[in-house]
Amino acid sequence: MKKVHFCLAHHLRVTMYTIKMALLTIIEYPSNILGWLISNPIQFLLGFATIKFAVEQFGEINGWDYGQLAFLYGISVISHALSMIFFVQGWFMGYYVIDGAFDRFLTRPMSVLYQFFFTNINIFGFTDLIPGILVFLYGCVQTDFAFTVSNVLGIIVMLTGAVLIRGGIYILLGSTSFWTKSANDFGQFTQEIFDKTTMYPLSMYPEAMQLILTFLIPIGWVSFYPASELLGMKTLCSSGGMGVWITLAAGIATMLAAGLVFQTGLKKYESAGN
Amino acid sequence: MFSSSFRKYLFICKTRIIRSFTYRFDVFGNILMQTIVMVTTAFFWKALFQDETFRNGITADNMMTYTIMSSVLSVLFTTGVERRIQESVEKGSIAIDLMRPVNVFGMFFAEDLGNLIALLFQNLLPILLLGSLLIKVPTIVSVSAIPMFAVSVILSMAINWLTAAIFGMWAFTAISMDALFQVKKHLIRLLSGSIIPIWFFPKWLAGILNALPFVYIYQLPLDIYIGSASNEEIQGRMLIQLIWVLILAALFYLFSKKSLKKVLVQGG
Repeated sequence: MKKVHFCLAHHLRVTMYTIKMALLTIIEYPSNILGWLISNPIQFLLGFATIKFAVEQFGEINGWDYGQLAFLYGISVISHALSMIFFVQGWFMGYYVIDGAFDRFLTRPMSVLYQFFFTNINIFGFTDLIPGILVFLYGCVQTDFAFTVSNVLGIIVMLTGAVLIRGGIYILLGSTSFWTKSANDFGQFTQEIFDKTTMYPLSMYPEAMQLILTFLIPIGWVSFYPASELLGMKTLCSSGGMGVWITLAAGIATMLAAGLVFQTGLKKYESAGN
Repeated sequence: MFSSSFRKYLFICKTRIIRSFTYRFDVFGNILMQTIVMVTTAFFWKALFQDETFRNGITADNMMTYTIMSSVLSVLFTTGVERRIQESVEKGSIAIDLMRPVNVFGMFFAEDLGNLIALLFQNLLPILLLGSLLIKVPTIVSVSAIPMFAVSVILSMAINWLTAAIFGMWAFTAISMDALFQVKKHLIRLLSGSIIPIWFFPKWLAGILNALPFVYIYQLPLDIYIGSASNEEIQGRMLIQLIWVLILAALFYLFSKKSLKKVLVQGG
């Protein structure tokens, strides 16, 4: 028991150190922080504004008015921001493999998986969080969303699951680099797909695509199903009032699969010579 | 004299074309990504319009054409000049670029032109083909609109390249430009009509946007293509487009003289 406790405390201390280091690194370039602080909110606030203008002209899209869309959009951006903070390195795994950057992790007396996930905290992700929360709160006001204990718990469970699904998919895609040995950058690619499938109601896509994004790739669970449930919207597949918990389960499952593939891929890792 | 300097730029252009054909994964990745964006946007319009007609006579079918042509135009509006400047400054190789016996901006332009020619085959044609297959064949509103469309696209490309070049000049003095590039990218994406036409925006906002150069990049050629504005209106707007090209060209000329004096060279 004492050993477990020591181990946990040790990991926690290392994580704290890396967060401190991450903070120190970004303070080095203050103009950069300011840039992201302007750029990311602009992207998402303007992005939502344009959707709102278009939807307002027609009143609704597939039964969703712009208040409900704001709720959905907000959840999508918040989960995106959190996944950027913790798992953005999944986007760049190709470069790690090509550059032989895993050497550094392999020679340290800690699990590679732990080091890879928790020693790369991306503080800039917080700049995405601001517009996400703003649009989300706007949506809550527009839809008269009640902040009851069960609803708040629902949101927390859903966001945890959503971040795990996103992170899991980043790492699964990134891990392909272990086999392909190429620095494919999936970043923009995954972001576009996640934007298009989690910011708008999934119900506007053909049924076949909805089914794929429900059962095969759990993207529908990132925001659409749990948000539909919290707002009382109809969906193609009913989540039976368990939407947020299914999101969490899907997140854990995706993450476990990602961890497994990562570990298997790591055995294929052969460093880069020079 | 003219022909020899022209040949230099032609050579730069050629090397870029050859280089573009070596990165195959990028090509497929880009086509796939642009197709996904195009098709999902089409579904968004379908769901939004249903069978309704918007107040300027636009239907869901017109919006499909709009979406496909916007994706096609986005290929023509690919520029590398800002990144090119930033990378050169970051690595310090800008010193070598400046020593070459060509105008440095002429060189960047020739490089972009070379990339563009490669992209016509690598991106534009595949996207047009996939759009026609997956969504619909994007036909122009009338044959008589073709010359106007062509002229306004060329002017759009000029506005787009000049904006990128003027913007890129900042990189001569400020090293880290990533965030600023993102700001510019999003402004153009969202305020140029490339994703959502500005007729959907509130009147006051559309008024402001009509005074800025962004809408003359995407919105105007697309309006001509789908016929969502009267001929007189189009002619008036093309005049503003031309004025913007001239203003930006003047600014470009002015800034390029100044910025080259302040180039930051690092490393050695």
